[in-house]
Amino acid sequence: MTFDTPNLTFVVGEEKRLAEILSPAEIEPLLRSLIKAGPVWAAVLDEDGLPICRHGDDHPPDTLQEIRHGLLVEGEPRGTLIVANDPSQFQAVEPLALLARDALQLTVNNNLKRMLTTEIHTSVVQESYEQLVGINRNLAESEKRYRELALSLEQKVEERTKELQKAYGKILQQEKLAAIGGLAAGMAHEINNPNGFILSNLTTFKKYLGRMSEMLGLYRLLASKEISSEQLKLLTEARWRELKLDFVLEDALDLLSQSQQGAERIGKIVADLKSFSHVDETSGYAADLNVELTRTLSVLKLNMVPGAVIVQDLQPLPLFTCNPGLLSQAFLNIIQNALQSSDKGKGLEVRISSRFEAGEIIIAVADNGCGIPADNLPRVFEPFFTTRDVGSGTGMGLTVARDIVNGAGGNMEIDSSAGLGTTVTIRLPHR
Amino acid sequence: MIEFDEQQQRIVLKLVYYGPALSGKTTNLLALHDQLSLDGRGELMLLDTTEDRTIYFDLLPFFYVAPSGMKIKIKVYTVPGQVRHDATRKAVLQRADGVVFVADSQLGRMSVNFESFDNLEKNLSMVGLSIERLPLVVQFNKRDVVDVVPEEEIFKAWEPTGLPVIMASALKGFGVLETFGKILEETFDSINARYGLTARYGVEREAFLSEIMKVSK
Repeated sequence: MTFDTPNLTFVVGEEKRLAEILSPAEIEPLLRSLIKAGPVWAAVLDEDGLPICRHGDDHPPDTLQEIRHGLLVEGEPRGTLIVANDPSQFQAVEPLALLARDALQLTVNNNLKRMLTTEIHTSVVQESYEQLVGINRNLAESEKRYRELALSLEQKVEERTKELQKAYGKILQQEKLAAIGGLAAGMAHEINNPNGFILSNLTTFKKYLGRMSEMLGLYRLLASKEISSEQLKLLTEARWRELKLDFVLEDALDLLSQSQQGAERIGKIVADLKSFSHVDETSGYAADLNVELTRTLSVLKLNMVPGAVIVQDLQPLPLFTCNPGLLSQAFLNIIQNALQSSDKGKGLEVRISSRFEAGEIIIAVADNGCGIPADNLPRVFEPFFTTRDVGSGTGMGLTVARDIVNGAGGNMEIDSSAGLGTTVTIRLPHR
Repeated sequence: MIEFDEQQQRIVLKLVYYGPALSGKTTNLLALHDQLSLDGRGELMLLDTTEDRTIYFDLLPFFYVAPSGMKIKIKVYTVPGQVRHDATRKAVLQRADGVVFVADSQLGRMSVNFESFDNLEKNLSMVGLSIERLPLVVQFNKRDVVDVVPEEEIFKAWEPTGLPVIMASALKGFGVLETFGKILEETFDSINARYGLTARYGVEREAFLSEIMKVSK
């Protein structure tokens, strides 16, 4: 911090004239007392011999005798005290003059001291003031800088927040894709299965169709010939039996109805998945969360852990305005976690319940699986925190689920003890 | 220089005893007051003190009148050494013609000395004086104390500065006149070079020095 060299208006200890140090008001009472004591007149002169103060007879006779004493300023004679009296009474005046000189000298010395002290005080105060002004100026400048910085900081924070939001949205999308990708394996099997038997049925049916058209061709051929019905029956019955058409017709019906069922199954899977992913909707609407839960479960059933039991206890819920696609995603993540919590050697039971209580929709997913160790419990919502093997868990499941629930105006709690199981409770205040 | 009145034939010079707290600046002035003759010097003025420590400054004036009638008054000031009196130090330092830096010889006071010297350099530049050109004498005081830094060490440390370094004990009275004489010489030479004291006003160097340095009987 630098300050301008202050332009001092005076310098400490600058030379002073006697009249600056000693005022007539200070001299006058002394001289008056002096005159009362005897002398005819008395005066104090400055360094140029000019009177600063004078007292006594204005027109003294020329015959008077004078005593002169020097007055010192910093040890240097700078003024004179003159005491005048009749020569006849002169001796009595001498001690009086000395006394007056000493008194004046003392006043000069004290005044000088006081003046020097005041000067230094003033100088110091002035400098302190200038320093304060300087400090104040610097502070004002730095405050201004900080304010500007704060302003641009706010802007930067806003930009970064937007970027983060964008990136988070991307992660959300990726998580959704990953979940759907995970489902795809089970789905592939589920679709492939009916598709396989539909194909096989169609192949068989094609063969049957060949036999049927052959039989029909025979009928047509015989119908164009003039033969008896006995003959016709004989000729066709043999062929009918050869072609096993009794069985073919029966089986073809089975094949078709089976294929129809298979195709319907595929259709349902696709419909479930589509409504689960809510690809068609972007904004929220009033939805029955029980429907969403059921739909999520039906999608999940496709890659169900063998031996796991899902118990549903869904009480009627009021319609809840939200983005059901997002909430289904949260349900999926939570239920999937529950399904993966299977402790070896123990039948896994996942209990899914919903109820409406005191203005809140409460959805709970409880499992009797491995639970979460107390050490990890505070970290489960941390992004990318996972205890699963690399590549098998993103560590985003619960993070995303909680953010979705928070986004819907609710909150999510996890209660778990290692070895006993975990309960995730979602509370959504009904608006 | 406080004043140069050509008509009145009068010059008032200012010398400042600078240095850290308790290094013996006031003691230096007291010793000068005791050792130099009243003829040629004024009275020592000690402004108010707290617990015997200078809070404003001390002032000892000297007078010299050249045969030509040219009057030279020298005002010797001390400054308060304590760090918190920096503003006072700066005020006293204004328009100084020469500086005596009184350092404390005692072991463990070296860093304090250097801090104070730094402070002198800074304050000089703040009042518009250059430490390069200003007459400056360094005195290592308290040589009478047992635990002091050896002379050789001090000379070795200060030699690069090219400044005159004088060993003293203001309490015992030695080195004080030597210090004062040295700064008087340097100041006279510096003023003489600028204003031609000898050439234009007939102020002779030796006469000036011996008159002021008259020892009291």
